[in-house]
Amino acid sequence: MAIAIFFIAAAMAVAGGIGVISFRQPIRSVLSLVVVMIALSILFLLLSAQFIFVAQVIVYAGAVMVLFLFVIALLGPAREIGRGRLRFQTALSALFVLALFGLLWAMLQGVQFRQPDQTTDMSVFGTVQSIGLGLFTRFLYPFELTSILLLVAAIGAIYLSRREGDDR
Amino acid sequence: MPSTSAVAKATIDEIPTMSGFDAGGSQLDTSWFLFLAAILFILGTIGVLIRRNPLVILICIELMLNAANLTLVAFSRQLQNLDGQLFALMSMTVAAAEAVVGLAILVDIFRHRDAEDIDDLSEMKG
Repeated sequence: MAIAIFFIAAAMAVAGGIGVISFRQPIRSVLSLVVVMIALSILFLLLSAQFIFVAQVIVYAGAVMVLFLFVIALLGPAREIGRGRLRFQTALSALFVLALFGLLWAMLQGVQFRQPDQTTDMSVFGTVQSIGLGLFTRFLYPFELTSILLLVAAIGAIYLSRREGDDR
Repeated sequence: MPSTSAVAKATIDEIPTMSGFDAGGSQLDTSWFLFLAAILFILGTIGVLIRRNPLVILICIELMLNAANLTLVAFSRQLQNLDGQLFALMSMTVAAAEAVVGLAILVDIFRHRDAEDIDDLSEMKG
């Protein structure tokens, strides 16, 4: 059962990823990315990461993708026309990407994964309770720092997207 | 003939718990998830290399970040250590901040001129 779900979600993710890079119109790329996000959230559930699953659906498939759609709606439909100035770019990038994939694939061959140090209670693994416990005790400083990061990003976005006459 | 305690244990194991997929998830090999993450990362890399539209390049970067997240969560499951999931949450936040700032810069560029091709934005080449 779990194996069937894994392969369905994996096929969805790969198909969405191919869609992201092959559609000409950016809006179709964004919608393909939503498919990838949903498939990945299913995989997170299979990996017993329930909280990450919820965050993936809300933050990524919800907020970030809506942001991309808003920007596309703002900028108007733009199709990619013509080719780049570098003539061999596609062939060259295919070569490099194949080399990178070969490296990754070779690295995954015959890996002995480390076994868990201590047995964890898997019935609470990845629940909101355990995530919150980790986030507010051991990871408190990184957690607060991400809030500062989000504040800086919000201020930067407001500054960048103001109109010209507005700087008083 | 199995002993009664073994039968009772088997029955208890079949009861779905809160983490319903947990029992089935343990049959899944970690390397499958890593392989899928590698494929998704490679697809994102291809997109960054061959697409011309800066917006699509941002989308492809999001795809690569998601592949990295999948790796983190897969190893978190393999080592039964929650740190990987917490780090995946952090990287999700960083990805959201990156998307916001990148899109704001793009909107600012598009306001001044049309930049349909990433090669037009080469003033900082030096």
